[in-house]
Amino acid sequence: MTHDPANQRLAHEAHSHPHAPLTTASATVDGGDPGLSKKGLSAGSVGLIGAIVIGISCIAPAYTLTGALGPTVAEVGTQLPAIFLLGFIPMLLVAFGYRELNSAMPDSGTSFTWATRAFGPWVGWMAGWGLIAATVVVLSNLAGIAVEFFYLALAQAFNNPDIANLVGNPFVNVATCLVFILGATFISYRDMQTTQKLQYWLVGFQLLVMIGFGVAAFWHVANGTAFDPTQIELSWFNPLEVGSFSAIVAGLSVSLFVFWGWDVTLTMNEETKGSNSTPGRAATLTVTIVVAIYLFVAMGALAFAGTGTAGVGLGNPAIQENAFFYLAGPILGPLAILMSIAVLSSSAASLQSTFVSPARTLLAMGHYGALPQKFSKVSPRFFTPGYATVVSAIVAAVFYTVMRFVSEDVLWDTITTLGMMICFYYGLTAFACVWYFRKTWFRSGRNLFFRLIAPFVGGAILAVLFFTTLIDSMDPAYGSGSNIGGVGLVFILGVVILLAGVVVMIWQRVKRPEFFRSEHLARGVADRDS
Amino acid sequence: MTANTEPTYRIVVGYTADDSGADALALGARIAGATEASLEVVMVLPIEARGGVVPRDPGHERRVKEQAQAWLAEASAGLGRDVEQALHIRYADSFAEGLVAAAHEFGARLVVVGPARGGLFGRTRIGSVASELLHSADVPVALAPVGARKLPVAAGLTRVTAAVGGTPGIVLEASVALARRAHAPLRLLSLVPIDLPAGVDTGLVNLTSTVAAEQALEGARRELPAGVEASAVVATGQTIEESVGALDWEPGELVLVGSSRLAAPSRLFLGGTATKMLRELPVPLIVVPRAAQTS
Repeated sequence: MTHDPANQRLAHEAHSHPHAPLTTASATVDGGDPGLSKKGLSAGSVGLIGAIVIGISCIAPAYTLTGALGPTVAEVGTQLPAIFLLGFIPMLLVAFGYRELNSAMPDSGTSFTWATRAFGPWVGWMAGWGLIAATVVVLSNLAGIAVEFFYLALAQAFNNPDIANLVGNPFVNVATCLVFILGATFISYRDMQTTQKLQYWLVGFQLLVMIGFGVAAFWHVANGTAFDPTQIELSWFNPLEVGSFSAIVAGLSVSLFVFWGWDVTLTMNEETKGSNSTPGRAATLTVTIVVAIYLFVAMGALAFAGTGTAGVGLGNPAIQENAFFYLAGPILGPLAILMSIAVLSSSAASLQSTFVSPARTLLAMGHYGALPQKFSKVSPRFFTPGYATVVSAIVAAVFYTVMRFVSEDVLWDTITTLGMMICFYYGLTAFACVWYFRKTWFRSGRNLFFRLIAPFVGGAILAVLFFTTLIDSMDPAYGSGSNIGGVGLVFILGVVILLAGVVVMIWQRVKRPEFFRSEHLARGVADRDS
Repeated sequence: MTANTEPTYRIVVGYTADDSGADALALGARIAGATEASLEVVMVLPIEARGGVVPRDPGHERRVKEQAQAWLAEASAGLGRDVEQALHIRYADSFAEGLVAAAHEFGARLVVVGPARGGLFGRTRIGSVASELLHSADVPVALAPVGARKLPVAAGLTRVTAAVGGTPGIVLEASVALARRAHAPLRLLSLVPIDLPAGVDTGLVNLTSTVAAEQALEGARRELPAGVEASAVVATGQTIEESVGALDWEPGELVLVGSSRLAAPSRLFLGGTATKMLRELPVPLIVVPRAAQTS
C-alpha cells in the first residue's frame, strides 16, 4: 500500500486524538489480517471470469455498437472494421501508461491526480475536468440510448409500433431520460450492487444476442432476404481505402469510444495478491472477445444493410445515431425484443459503472482542495461520494435536456464530443505517464516501452486526433451536420466544455489558492522502478 | 449467565457518522458506563468487490477508510475518557453481517444499533439494518430510540424491565444479569393479557388473562435467583400500544424482550408484540435471542 502524506496525517490523527486504539481488519485494503479476513479475502479478489465480466460490462458492447456504428459508417463507409481495429491501437498504448501510473499512484482521482503530480495543478485540474466532462457526456448519451430502447422494447412487447414513436417527442423523451438518470443516481448513491452472478448472466446474454444478430444478418444475406446484400471484401480492413485523412480521424474519434472502459481490466487487480497474471489475461481475453464481437456484428450489419442512404442502409442519416434500433426488427424479426433487452441491460450496467467515475474524481478533487470541500464528502451511511454523485447527475441531466432541444441528433453529437474529450484527457494522462517516469525510462527495456514509447505514441495519436477533430468540427457539415449559426455543434460543445473548465479553474484559483500553490498535491517524479 | 465473573463485558456499537450512529453510541456508552463494560465501536464498510459491474478502486477504498478513521476518532473524542473503548473498522457485505461478525470476534454480549431515519423523537424505528440483525444475530441487540444521544452517559441505567411471556427463561436471565451488573432495580412486566386471540369474549379474556398474567409473573418470580428482588407489573389495555403508553417509564430504563424467531411455536406472540411495543416505547429495547443463552 502506498502511503501518501494525507493518509499518514489522518492515520496519525486517528491515533492521537481519540481515547482508544483503532483496529482495522480488512482484506480489501490491507491484505491478510488473521481472523476476520477470510471472507474479505475471497470477496476482495476478482477471478479471471469476474474480471472479464466487469471489463465487458464497462465497455458495454451492445450499447456502444448501437451508438457508434452509424456515426462511424457515416465517416468511413465500409472500412468500418478497419477503423475499429485502428481505433484500438491508441487506446491500448495509453492503457499501458495508465496501468503504470495506477500501480505507482493508486488514487481515485486517476487522471486528475496523475497529471497534477506530473505537470502541476493547472494541467492536472484540466485533465480532471476532461475526465468528468467525458463521463458526464457519456452518461447523458447512455440514458438517451436507454430511453429509445425502452420505448422500442415496449412497442415490441405490446406489438404496437406507435409506442416507439414516443421517442421522437422531446418532452416524453427528456422526462423518461430524467427518470432513468434519477434511478441511476439513486442506485449509485446507495451503492446498490448488481451481484456478480446476475451480471454473469446479463453479460452472457448480451454476447449471445450480439452473436445471434450477426448470424441472422449473414443468414439473410445468404438467403437473399437482406435489405441490401453487400459482398464482404478485404478492403473493409484497409484504412487506406477510406480516402481522406479527415474521414479516418473522424472515424477514429468515434471508434475510441467503443473501447473506452476497457482499461479497467488492466488495473482492477493490481493490488490483489497472488494474481500477477490475471489482470493481463483478463484484459487480453476481454479485448479479444469484444473486438471479435465488434467485427462480426459490424460486418454482419454492413453485409445486410449496405451503406446506402435509404431505408435501413447504414448510410441513411436517419438511422445512424442508433443503428440497432432500426436494424433489430429487419434482422431479428420477432426476436428483435431480445436486442432491446440486451442494449437496455448493457446500458444499465454501463450507467452504473460510469457513474462511479466522475463522482470519485470529484471526490478526489475536493479532497485535495481543487474543488470545494463539499465534493469530498462521503455519505456516512453508504460510503459513496454523495455530493459529487448528485452533482454529476444534475449536470448530466441538464446537458441531455439542453442537447435534446438544441440538436437534431443528440446521440450522435454527444458521441463525437465524447471522442474529443477522451482524446483530451487520455492524451494528457499518457503524457503525464511519460513525464512522471522520465527518470526511469532507461532503467530497463520494459520501462522504455511501457513508460516512454507506448504512452508517448498513444498520447501523440490522441493529440493529433484531438486537434484535427477540433478544426474539422468547425465545419457545419461535420458529423451529424448539427450546427449553430454555421458553426459545427460538436466544435461549439468541445470549446464550451473546455473553456468552461478554464473559467471554473480560474474561479477555484481565486477561491482556493492552496491547491494551485501545490500545497496539497505536490509535483513529483518517479525515481524508483516500481 | 454468570456475567459478574466475566473478565470483560463487551458491547459492540454499530457506528455510523450520523444521528442514528450517535444515538447508538450514546446508548452503548450509557450501558457500558453503568455495567463497567468495554465499548467496541465498529464501523462496517462495504466490501468493494461484491458486485459484478463496478471495478474495484483501491485508491477510493483507501480514501473511504481514512474517512472512517477520522469519523471514529471524532466519535471517540466525543465519548470522553470515562468509558473504556476500542475503535474498529471492519468489512462486510452488509452492516448487520459485519456487526454479527464483530460481536463474535470480540465475544461481545450486546450489539447496539441506532434507529432508522424518519422515526419520531423518543421512539425506535426498525430499519433494514436492525431487522436484518434481529433475524441473524445470536447475541442480544439493543435498539436505540431516536434522540438517545441527548441522554448523558451519567444518566446511567436506572431500571431494567424484563418483558416476560409464558416462558420467561432467557429474557429473565439476561435481565437479572444486566440489572445485577448495573446495580439497577429489576421490574417484571407481563404482556400475557394482550396476547389472547381476538374475538374471545371480553369477560372471559379479563378473567383468564388476569389469571394467566399472575401465573406468568409468579413463574418468573420462582425462576429468580435467590436474593434477587423484583417489582412486577401487568400490562393492561385493549392494545399493546395503549398498555405500553399507560405504564410508567424512567428515562434511564431499558426493556428486554425475547426474539420471535427463536420463540417456541406456541409462544410466537412476542414478535408482533415486540414490534407493536416499539412504536410506543419511549426507552431503548433489547431483543434477546434464545441462542444468547450461553454458559
